[in-house]
Amino acid sequence: MGSEMTFYENLSQRGVSRRDFLKFCGSTAAVLGLSSTFVPTLASKIAGAAESGLTPAIWATGGKCTGCLESTLQATYPNVADIVLDLLTLNYSAASMATGKYAGEAKKGVYEGDRPFIMIYEGAIMTGLGGNTLVNADKTTSLDDLEHVMHSPNLKAIIAMGQCAVDGGWTRAFPNPAGGMGIKYYLEQEGLDHVPVVNLPGCPASPEELTAVVVQALLLGSDGTLETGIQAVAADLDRLNRPKYLYNATIHDSCPRRGHFENGEFVHRYGSDAEKKNWCVYPMGCKGPQTYRRCPMMRWNDAQSWCVESGGICIGCATWNWVDNNAPFKGRHRRVGANNILPGVWKGGINPIGTAAALTGVVAAALVAHGFGMKAAGRCGKNATLKTEEMKEYDRKRLKKQGGA
Amino acid sequence: MPGKLTKRSTHPFFVFTHWVNAMAMLFLTISGLYIAFPIINGFMGVARGTHFFWMFVLLINIIARIVSMFFIKCACEQGGECVEYDYKNWFPQKTNRHQMWPMIKYYLFFKKDYPITAKYAGLQKLAYWLSIILTFAIAYTGFALWGPTQDWIIFRIGNEIVGSLFGFGGGDGLMAMRLIHHWLMWFILIFTCIHGYLANIYGPSASRLIFLYKDKK
Ligand code: HEM
Ligand code: SF4
Ligand code: SF4
Repeated sequence: MGSEMTFYENLSQRGVSRRDFLKFCGSTAAVLGLSSTFVPTLASKIAGAAESGLTPAIWATGGKCTGCLESTLQATYPNVADIVLDLLTLNYSAASMATGKYAGEAKKGVYEGDRPFIMIYEGAIMTGLGGNTLVNADKTTSLDDLEHVMHSPNLKAIIAMGQCAVDGGWTRAFPNPAGGMGIKYYLEQEGLDHVPVVNLPGCPASPEELTAVVVQALLLGSDGTLETGIQAVAADLDRLNRPKYLYNATIHDSCPRRGHFENGEFVHRYGSDAEKKNWCVYPMGCKGPQTYRRCPMMRWNDAQSWCVESGGICIGCATWNWVDNNAPFKGRHRRVGANNILPGVWKGGINPIGTAAALTGVVAAALVAHGFGMKAAGRCGKNATLKTEEMKEYDRKRLKKQGGA
Repeated sequence: MPGKLTKRSTHPFFVFTHWVNAMAMLFLTISGLYIAFPIINGFMGVARGTHFFWMFVLLINIIARIVSMFFIKCACEQGGECVEYDYKNWFPQKTNRHQMWPMIKYYLFFKKDYPITAKYAGLQKLAYWLSIILTFAIAYTGFALWGPTQDWIIFRIGNEIVGSLFGFGGGDGLMAMRLIHHWLMWFILIFTCIHGYLANIYGPSASRLIFLYKDKK
């Protein structure tokens, strides 16, 4: 990326017009909760930052499916890779660059260099077998890599990209033999948590979410640089380290089918008339009511559609331990992960409703049996042989024997 | 139940709170089951509205019942003459605190005679404490789910705790909280089965008293 070329020339070379770019600034301003009067400011900040010094970045990976990177690279309009990657010189990206000696050196160049940098982490930290569940070609592990990066004084912030990086995601679903873990929890456990972590939950995280954070950082940076800005972003996160404006409403809160939910207009079977009418898919197992994310507003694949709009359910992909807690996805909650309470006892989780209903049945049956017993012992009904006075006498004697009043 | 039940055994206000509680539980269970499994269409708005109305009734009612036990007197023994502030019946009393074990033996058919001197037997006291705990627990988990209150710090802490019990690292915990709320419903149903059974196994007099405030046939 030649710095002689202006930012706009650079964009247009890649087929993104100024108009597209301003449109992007408009939608990003909306995500950030800013009015449209901020669009010119946003545009000049981004262009300015891209033309001045770029912030080096590492896109590191743990245990993952590369979905988050795919999701980011395939955003086409406006080309988010252009925007974000023009601000960050992505010197190292484990999954999208040719591997080998040079990749390793590029990464080393960043964390041993003398410039501030940020790390985007995609995937779970693989702690199983002492880190040997994710090994590099040179037999070092992903944990060794992380350790090196964390010890660099120039690391300014970590963006945990996607649910795996946030809490382990599907990678750590039961029984989790690879010991998958979220990066924030791993760093806390290892006492390496001196760098702020910005969580972008979801499976995958979306390019809009990543760009929103980068743009917010540009706006907040005291000297117009990303590295001071990202720290300002990190200082204004919610209790789960998420940017507040991205995760402050549930899917259900802003779902276009919410009216059908309230009216009790539900889809009970795929292929039914109700489905054709786009009714609410709650009985099919929609986890929208428990899931904080902006999908109905943001929509996916360049705002084409999203899970519910395309006829599916929200599977709650932006919630913690989402696979164990939400699977099987197609049904109202039927099973829950209990690995932390009784590891391995309920393999794959408890069926809570079945268990509770069965227990109620057992109690009811026991009571009926007990009732017959009471009847057989002549304790109930008109013929009950209850000698109250005699019992009181017995009781008083007993009490005396025990030294009571 | 052995021992005579007289009007002194309870108080009209307790008859009232018992009715309110029973109705609240009934409506909350029906609406809650519908919210969990809306098998027929058309009633989600009604079910949620019903739930959100009766949840406040349930909460206010249990608080009123607890406060009133310090102001209302009723019999301390079944069929006895003495009256005492109701709260005393809820704690171990000198006259019957030794009866717990005989009582358990009685219900397991290891003991023939019914040990009684107080209004509530030892087991019964424990069960009633449990009912208070269950009610507060279901109210707590309910408000932890309810949009307007789920972000209150007191509910947030709870959501995070159950979140970390059910999944590493906590998170928002709403899914786990929902399940716990749902389970508590089943616990309450189980409690109600046992409660209804024990209250009526000796005949209808207890029910006549607490529902109709009548002590004679
Ligand atoms: C003060 C007490 C209570 C409060 C604040 C409360 C609140 C709530 C809330 C907010 C919901 C979620 C509704 C929705 O998002 O649409 C809910 C669901 C539910 N409630 Fe309650 N509730 C209370 C008492 C009860 C009681 C006493 C029962 C039954 C004995 C009950 C049974 C249920 C059930 C079964 C659900 C459905 C949960 C599911 O499976 O999805 N609730 N309640
Ligand atoms: S489809 Fe899901 S998110 Fe939308 S209203 Fe129904 S339950 Fe809520
Ligand atoms: S709608 Fe739900 S499952 Fe779909 S991407 Fe959004 S949070 Fe994930």
